[in-house]
Amino acid sequence: METPPSPRKTIPSFTIPVDSENKATQFHPFSLTSPHMLAFHLAWLSLFSCFFSTFSIPPLIPIIREDLKLSQADIGAAGIASFVGSIFSRLAMGPVCDMVGPRIACATLSLLTAPIVLATSLVSSPTSFILIRFLMGFSLANFVVNQFWMSSMFSGCVVGLANGVSAGWANTGSGLAQLVMPLIFTAISHFNVPSFTAWRLAFIVPSMFQALTAILVLIYGQDLPSGNYKEFKKTRNNSKEGDDNFLHVLFNGLKNYRGWILALTYGYSFGVELTIDNIIAQYFYDRFNVNIQMAGTIAATFGLANWFSRPMGGVVSDAMGRSFGMRGRLWGLWVVQTVAGLLCVSLGRVSSLWSSIVVMCVFSVFVQAASGLTFGVVPFVSKRSLGVISGMTGSGGTVGAVVTQMLLFSGSEFSKQTSISLMGLMMIICTLPLTFIYFPQWGGMFCAPSLDPNSAAYQYHLLQ
Amino acid sequence: MATRGILLASLVLSCLIQACYGAVLFSSLKKTLQVTTSTKQGVLQSGEDKITVTWGLNQSLPAGTDSDYKTIEVTLCYAPISQKDRAWRKTEDHLNKDKTCQFKLVERPYNKSLQTLDWIIERDVPTATYFVRAYAFNADGHEVAYGQSTNDQKTTNLFEVQAISGRHVSLDIASVCFSAFSVVSLAFFFFIEKRKGKTTQQK
Repeated sequence: METPPSPRKTIPSFTIPVDSENKATQFHPFSLTSPHMLAFHLAWLSLFSCFFSTFSIPPLIPIIREDLKLSQADIGAAGIASFVGSIFSRLAMGPVCDMVGPRIACATLSLLTAPIVLATSLVSSPTSFILIRFLMGFSLANFVVNQFWMSSMFSGCVVGLANGVSAGWANTGSGLAQLVMPLIFTAISHFNVPSFTAWRLAFIVPSMFQALTAILVLIYGQDLPSGNYKEFKKTRNNSKEGDDNFLHVLFNGLKNYRGWILALTYGYSFGVELTIDNIIAQYFYDRFNVNIQMAGTIAATFGLANWFSRPMGGVVSDAMGRSFGMRGRLWGLWVVQTVAGLLCVSLGRVSSLWSSIVVMCVFSVFVQAASGLTFGVVPFVSKRSLGVISGMTGSGGTVGAVVTQMLLFSGSEFSKQTSISLMGLMMIICTLPLTFIYFPQWGGMFCAPSLDPNSAAYQYHLLQ
Repeated sequence: MATRGILLASLVLSCLIQACYGAVLFSSLKKTLQVTTSTKQGVLQSGEDKITVTWGLNQSLPAGTDSDYKTIEVTLCYAPISQKDRAWRKTEDHLNKDKTCQFKLVERPYNKSLQTLDWIIERDVPTATYFVRAYAFNADGHEVAYGQSTNDQKTTNLFEVQAISGRHVSLDIASVCFSAFSVVSLAFFFFIEKRKGKTTQQK
């Protein structure tokens, strides 16, 4: 990203070391002083609220399904619908961020989807339930904004860490929702409110929280270290080379096969994580006869592990990159994701409550670390088309969730435990294409870097 | 050698007994209770309408059938039509996995005389088709017998319940107001930004 010239202002001084583009070169998660760290906290908090809202429904499904007379097919369709919306919104969000800046994009999306979250309390039929989940899924496009914002604020040496931590901490929203929503529901029920009204009232909490984070972003957020997009729009427009450039960047990204492979593997790491978030509370409630708060708590531990496991994935990727280069990053991703697949298979095979909980916890660490490791490879695929590749990979995650739910969790042919095992098997198979990724100047999993200087230079040039 | 054999056998046997301990099968229960229900005509409203249940031992059975009955539990159970495509209401032979009867009407100590109950359908009962079943428990708390208000195929004497709607006018109004606030605050911010942009340009 270009640094916009600002002749009338003096160079701003920051409380954090920055590079020549004013991007931070260090990452201090417990400080709020510089615009970089403030942006980090606003970004992860607003994405957290979006995840919280989207996953506020699954823990209450045992109550909602009785009120709305939902069948298993309806619940499956709603689960699929909840991610279909985000496929397109994530793809569209990349260019939108580029046009209006991450601050406005993030706040607009959150403020427009908050009423939809509250509208959940108005649904009274299976069709409207599916529609609501579809519309709510749009808010997950804030993930692209989050990563884009971090890339604008943090320099290359810490961008992986910033990306991983902000995405990881935001993902814990899905876990916290599983824990908190049943508690809110139970608290409301204590006031002698029948259960069919109590669940509706509970949605006030996620919608207000989402609106609040959006307002905070608008008040305190800043697109770039030196200010907002609007202030530099004129200079940016002058230096832009026109629309052909945008299309070139778009097609450059779309025709890069590595982006498609990463989209597939992300679909089977993050996609599986999304699917599990959708079905796990109901699984424990139905199979092991635990009550709704216990099911929510167990499901929550899955999502809450994101707090450290996804950042850890990013850290491991960086460490493997330092020691073994790109080969290390790819092998690290393949190993972690395959182990996650094996654990998923065994999750469907164990039959006692406690062994299921233990396997699920270990599985959560591996599958979330795999998501973090994926975004350790993404920045290297294409420097010029980074936004497009990130959007493709991010969308691939939700496509994976949709496909998995459609094939395995939307009818009554397989029992839930068989479906979970089959999902693990699909994970192992769909991680194998990583072996095909090859970077001429860095190599691949089995091949060394190309010694042909012409081909290396050409590929590098494309990567500019 | 013999003592070791006996010890091993008793260990295995006790393990088997432990395994059977919690696994009472519905198919092993005797249908000795007679349960009848009477409701008003048409669909019943939860929270308002009531079901009158009468239960007791089938008098045509020999005396002593009910010697180990200690408590009776009367439950509301889903009819097959309400179990379709809903695995969380599935009928299983293992009683501790069975999800057919999820609402308890009453639990009373066993009494040889005919018992009656007027039960107002609770507001948590969802819209579905139901029948009533009574289980007899022995002193160990295991089911030993049952009776139900419908036939074995669960096709006769079923009644429908219409649940309350969870929606309230006040909730609807609050939702609309809040949604309006959300959209208006966004528009307000755009307006403020535009004004700030104009004033900085004028400076």
